[in-house]
Amino acid sequence: MNTKRFGFAGVIAAAALAVSTLVAPSASAATEIVVWADESRGPNLTKVIAAKGDWVPGYTIKIVTFSSFDALKEAFDKATDASGPDVVVAANDWVPSGAKSGKLAPIVLTAAVKARFNQTQFLDLTYKGKLYGVPVDINNVAMIYNTKLVSSAPTSFGEMVNYYKANKASKGLKAGLCIAGGGMSWGAHSVFSALGANAYQFNSRNKIVYGRTFSAVTFGKNVRTYLLDGKKSNGFFPATDTGCKDNFLAGTVPFAVIGNWEWKDYVAKGFTMNLMPVPGVVAGTYGHMFGSVSGALLTTFAEKHGVEAGAKSLLTNFFASTDGQVRYQALELRPPAEKGAQADASVSAGQRGFGSAASLAGIPQIGAFLNSNKGGANYWDSAPAYWTAVLIDGKNAVSEASKLAAIWRANVEAGKGDL
Amino acid sequence: MMYFLRGKVAFTLKIIVISLISAILLMLTQSAFAQREYVIAAFLGLTVLVLALTYLTKISIPLKFFIPGILLLTAFVIGPILYTVTMSGFNYKTGNIISKEEAILQIKARGIEADPSGISFDIKLGRFDGTEAILVSDIANLKYFISTTSSRVAIDPREVTLNEYGVAISAPNFKALTDSELANADKSYSKRHFIYEGEYFIALEGFEAGVVSRQVLEYVPSTDQFKNLVNGKLYSDNGRGNYSLPSDATAILEPGWRAPIWFENYSKIFTDPRVREPLVRVFIWTIVFATATVLTTFALGLLLALALNKPIRGRRIYRSILVLPYAMPSVMSILIWGGMFNTEFGAINALFGTDIAWFSDPNFARLAVILVNLWLGFPYFYLISSGSLQAIPSELLEAAAIDGANSRQIFRKITLPLLLQILSPLLIASFAFNFNNFNLIFLLTGGGPRNELDGEIAGATDILISYTYKIAFGSSTQDLGLASAISLIIFILVASISLYGLRKSKVLESFS
Repeated sequence: MNTKRFGFAGVIAAAALAVSTLVAPSASAATEIVVWADESRGPNLTKVIAAKGDWVPGYTIKIVTFSSFDALKEAFDKATDASGPDVVVAANDWVPSGAKSGKLAPIVLTAAVKARFNQTQFLDLTYKGKLYGVPVDINNVAMIYNTKLVSSAPTSFGEMVNYYKANKASKGLKAGLCIAGGGMSWGAHSVFSALGANAYQFNSRNKIVYGRTFSAVTFGKNVRTYLLDGKKSNGFFPATDTGCKDNFLAGTVPFAVIGNWEWKDYVAKGFTMNLMPVPGVVAGTYGHMFGSVSGALLTTFAEKHGVEAGAKSLLTNFFASTDGQVRYQALELRPPAEKGAQADASVSAGQRGFGSAASLAGIPQIGAFLNSNKGGANYWDSAPAYWTAVLIDGKNAVSEASKLAAIWRANVEAGKGDL
Repeated sequence: MMYFLRGKVAFTLKIIVISLISAILLMLTQSAFAQREYVIAAFLGLTVLVLALTYLTKISIPLKFFIPGILLLTAFVIGPILYTVTMSGFNYKTGNIISKEEAILQIKARGIEADPSGISFDIKLGRFDGTEAILVSDIANLKYFISTTSSRVAIDPREVTLNEYGVAISAPNFKALTDSELANADKSYSKRHFIYEGEYFIALEGFEAGVVSRQVLEYVPSTDQFKNLVNGKLYSDNGRGNYSLPSDATAILEPGWRAPIWFENYSKIFTDPRVREPLVRVFIWTIVFATATVLTTFALGLLLALALNKPIRGRRIYRSILVLPYAMPSVMSILIWGGMFNTEFGAINALFGTDIAWFSDPNFARLAVILVNLWLGFPYFYLISSGSLQAIPSELLEAAAIDGANSRQIFRKITLPLLLQILSPLLIASFAFNFNNFNLIFLLTGGGPRNELDGEIAGATDILISYTYKIAFGSSTQDLGLASAISLIIFILVASISLYGLRKSKVLESFS
């Protein structure tokens, strides 16, 4: 045998070796339901599933944890038929893009399962009339006040501003009210709303009103009255969330809007969960806070993996069940979305506090409106831009509010078709 | 040592190495094939063949040295460029990602509509007279029936066994699936339409529930259309990756697919006002930013190199300190600088006692970007300028000094021209790099400030690449096709500027 033939024989042998060692997906893989989750939810889901694994008889449930929420999003965007999950625990705003791209599959819940949730929660997970998952936990913000500075809950926005102005110098306050959780768009909606600007309008029957938006004049005047000193910010409400949490924890800010995912940090520093919505300019009214849900979403990969019915059973038997949410939220410590779990004795004071604040002044976060940029900018960009324009750049509060109102109205109109 | 480099041992080692590489490549080929990445699978398969031909025959000795580089260049440079060129001709965005075949399957699946009154039943999966069937419990009406894909048989309530929730778990001639059988039955049962009434059927929503549904959209293969079975409307392929109504182009069925639209993405750059209008302003700032960065970093680097080219005390320590910004990961440096420029809490304002809104004012934001890039970039030019200064023959400088030239004249007439001759390729490379310096812009200012309330899309510090990113990924819709088209234009611009620069500096000629 000359060297050339020997060489080819070697390659052929190697090829044969490689092919022979390749293992085709095993038959047992079809009895496995794969769930993807982020670095917070993944480990907790793993523990819950390990403690009780028979949520779907005949299946094993595998939780794949990603290092961050962004890593999870990136992986899901790039997921293929072979690598994709059957269920992904994700934010509600994944639904429109996931449904459009054919990565999420619709699910129909029975009336009994639907009754376990507040019906507005399904708006978050609906795209063009179809539901793509089940609500798992509620994401919202609420206002907390420092009882070492303020003895009782404020009843109006003006009361908070007056406190700030009166005590700014003597108590070394760095701000009156700031956004510690949720950022200057999502978290600050409650402030917008308290001063008269809602991203979208509801009528008395809790139905969305199209073609209408907030009064720019009223809102702008309120901004002037409560947040400005002439053309400059009076310091009560900073245009940025930078440093808010630290300042509140340090006792130099009396009121802060905090996220329900971080209440433990405040409890650890000795704060009581005196949570409430941001009070409105009229005593007894409140600014509406966005309440969104994270969902367990069904993917189209489940059907390709031959586990579609199993995955749907997992959604209803575990993610949408009282037992499943109680067990899970006992570790995750977010407010559960399911009514039975919300009423469960194991739900902590922090979880309850956010729940009751949301019930006072919560509105659903509707991605179809908020993500739309038909008005020139989406809600997420336009909301902080208003604070910057007015509180930092010193632009006219009313005329900038007019621009904001026009943007939001156009976005709501454009998003109508996606609901 | 030579023993291992020639003879049978060397040959055997070569065979083992080639075999191992081939085995790994074949495994990757199979994996790519399984994931339907046929182009990648073909490339990997071809690579195995090329490696075998190159190293196991005497077809070409030079090829043995070049082939790893050629293959890697193909895989990681030429491949992505070709892919970008190809995708720039496609409608490839959120909603138009998958193949047409896959889209048809998904539209069919979404074309099932639940009964408006929301009727659903508890079910039990099993077999009825040997065929796939479900045992249905209408608990509200105490009615029970067995449904298959072809028939529906009512069952006398007295004949069924109920569990504690009143759900039937057994009936005559119905054999329920065991837990272990359920998983294997998933695929077939999930696709079945179990008979209910008229056009309505029962679709599985898990193993425990069946929802009364009907098929609303039907695919007509002969005409490649979708028919709405309720109102009779026909959705046709619109040639842009969606089925739509001929009378209303906006009424599309989702999901769509990746479809060729040829030069539409390119024309969009010039016709879509959202893209076109800020483009000139962004382009000018990109040129200014890249030029200013190269000039300032080079000037500072060269100045320090000249200063430290002379024997001074502690020169090594100074040199080490000057290289530190280069040694630190740029991502960290940018984020730290971002904090230092913060208006309320930043160290810069605190240090100078100022109240500058660095990232809110367009001019200050641009200045901050150039300053931070100066910090990040000067050590590089300091290092290469130091090295280049050593390469200039000292005889030239001494001769000039003897001829009466002062130090400024020596620098202007001898040192700088020689340095520029040596450093021109690096200056051009730096310009090209900064033309696309996405990290700095994205991490420091996010392209801002921009006035969103006035509908601005591009921010004051947006450069072409960050602007492209905003256009492509800035909203909930990812437009990868448009991003590919803009990327190619940037590629052509950078390549043209670089080539022009190289030609003007006559560097290529001097090298040849």
